[in-house]
Amino acid sequence: MGSALELEAVSKRYAGHTAVASLSLAVPRGSIFGLLGPNGAGKSTTLRMILNIIARDEGRISVLGADPARDHAVLRRIGYLPEERGLYKKMKVIDVIIFFARLKGVPASEAKRRADAWLERMGLAEWRDKRVEALSKGMQQKVQFIATVLHEPELLILDEPHSGLDPVNQEVLRDTILDARRAGRTVVLSTHNMEEAEQLCEHVCIIAGGRKVLDGVLRDVKRRNRGNRYAVVFDEPTREAQDFMERNRLFARVEAKRERWEVELAPGAEPGELIRALTALQTPLARFERVEPSLREIFVHHVGAGSPAALRPEPAHV
Amino acid sequence: MSELLLVLKREFVERVRARSFVLGTIAFPVFLVAVTVLPYLFNRGGEERTVVVVDETPEKIGDRVAALLGAEPETEKENRYRVEHIAGPMDERLRAELDGRLLAEEIDGYLLLPSSLLSEGSATYRSRSVAGPLVIRDLRQAATRAVQAERLRQAGLEVASVAALLGGVSVENVRVTAAGTEGADAMSSFAAAYVMAMALYFIIAFYGMSVLRSVLEEKTSRIAEVLISSLRASHLLAGKILGAGSVALLQVALWIGALVLIIGQIDTVIPDFELPPGALDAVAVGPVVGITLVAFFVLGFFLYAALFAALGAAVTSEQEAQSFQMVLMVPLFVPMLFLLPLTTEPLGTAATVLGLIPFTSPIAMPMRMAASPLPPLQIAASLGLLALSVPLVAAVAGKIFRIGILATGRRPTIRELVMWLRMV
Repeated sequence: MGSALELEAVSKRYAGHTAVASLSLAVPRGSIFGLLGPNGAGKSTTLRMILNIIARDEGRISVLGADPARDHAVLRRIGYLPEERGLYKKMKVIDVIIFFARLKGVPASEAKRRADAWLERMGLAEWRDKRVEALSKGMQQKVQFIATVLHEPELLILDEPHSGLDPVNQEVLRDTILDARRAGRTVVLSTHNMEEAEQLCEHVCIIAGGRKVLDGVLRDVKRRNRGNRYAVVFDEPTREAQDFMERNRLFARVEAKRERWEVELAPGAEPGELIRALTALQTPLARFERVEPSLREIFVHHVGAGSPAALRPEPAHV
Repeated sequence: MSELLLVLKREFVERVRARSFVLGTIAFPVFLVAVTVLPYLFNRGGEERTVVVVDETPEKIGDRVAALLGAEPETEKENRYRVEHIAGPMDERLRAELDGRLLAEEIDGYLLLPSSLLSEGSATYRSRSVAGPLVIRDLRQAATRAVQAERLRQAGLEVASVAALLGGVSVENVRVTAAGTEGADAMSSFAAAYVMAMALYFIIAFYGMSVLRSVLEEKTSRIAEVLISSLRASHLLAGKILGAGSVALLQVALWIGALVLIIGQIDTVIPDFELPPGALDAVAVGPVVGITLVAFFVLGFFLYAALFAALGAAVTSEQEAQSFQMVLMVPLFVPMLFLLPLTTEPLGTAATVLGLIPFTSPIAMPMRMAASPLPPLQIAASLGLLALSVPLVAAVAGKIFRIGILATGRRPTIRELVMWLRMV
């Protein structure tokens, strides 16, 4: 399928600090790609460089096969939802949506037809002819989302799309993102909400301090980061089972959750060793499985306090 | 290019739809009519007043005052007076009686001619409220003429022959133009230059600030990010300026249309309203002058609108914008300070220099042209300089706009602005 988006050693420096340092990544066509990172990691700067809103200092960017800095026409095939939302407050809802769609090359009548359909779908049909300023913040966000997708872009770039939405609207947004993927579009979203990313993204890239910490297919990322963690479940945890789980030299760490124990094996310990010991018990074993780390755990491990990314010294200022 | 047109259309439609446009379009002609017609309506006279003349003078000047005041007026616009003549002196009883009649609204007022009238030349008029200017004028005229006649009589002169000897001379002020002579007097071309300069000043300033606010809205709401990721900054800027400019032109056209309509209909609405002769001559311009004026307006608007747009992109809030836009408006206002030299000496040094500087010429040149025909070379040089500076200023403004509209945080310093100019 190839890549919808490719960054090669892209950097952006501001007076006094480096916002993005030699970042490379590739987003496969038709996937949902999560750009993750703490606040100030350089997520928005990266997205803005992709859209040619700000100029990069170094590196190569290819969007849908074109360099947006040279080939302006490619921007029409992108839909962009900026982190800080904003619409023309005095304009009518329908007019704002049509204006943005027409800027992206959708003919007027088609834009109107699609806008009505989307307003209906988002439950905003009765607000069609109201001024934007009359809408609640959540409704304005939905209107802006409609304006982002109305021209049916091949690539959707959503900067923190979930921030400021209530749970119901987060659900609506998730559905529309999944719909876009089903329709063969590529979605790049930035977020620091790891649960959201875990549910939506097939590919992730975690950045911190403007540098890439890790990236790849979410499944592989989890596999690479799972460590030596296993879950042990007994049908009826007996005294014997409890004693075994709580005093065992094989475990570096044990966490009990009712009949379920999560353990981290001590260095050098083998899972086979543990299985043999478990099956030798009188108490019947119900389940034994490897525990996949959550994206949040991986994230905190890599960019939290004491992590390799946090300990890395800041690059010298220019 | 089509994106530019979309921006232009949005700017145009949203402005024309706004309440302020409708109000402004109606308010200006209404204001003009109000300041020209209303004073006339309030002051038209033709009313009847009852006035008592109390005469204390030994010379019986009151007889003559009463006769002059009570005479049938020459036109219907003048007040008529019913005069009651009482021989003085004014004592407490008479005053109480007259005050009583005054308050009972039997009479409108009483004029006291004191015994010292001939020597001191002052009389008193008492009425319920401060009398209107027409009444005071009529009273003063009647009393003055009566006193003058008495003084002449005492000096042994005859009123009619003195009047003939003192007959005045009138000077007609005729403006010479290429098209031949015109009857317009200095006052009307001065007024025309003044009105035109004020109108240009306000339109450029008003729509310039409107561009500024619209840029600032896109900047603070971050709409700019979506726009810049959809079209070129230069197209966005051009669309915004052309959109606001076409609304300004539409408004001016509507104003001129309304004025033409009002002037055409004024005779039927107010039958005896007469414009001073030649009042419109200075405004009635030929096609060449008309096109030149439009060119100055359009180019001047572009020049300032680009600057206002750059300012809107550089500042971060309305408050900041307000203090800085005053700086931008100074060169626009300079020609207003030179109104007198520009209209009375339109070919003088000050007028010529102001007419050549691109930042003052859009206001100064129409003022000069209203006052006097100018050498075509001067007009061409002025227009040429202006036309050359518009793309230069627009290029600089465009760079500031491109970076500023996306910049966040605090306002840039002058040094950073210069850096921006080098960046793009």
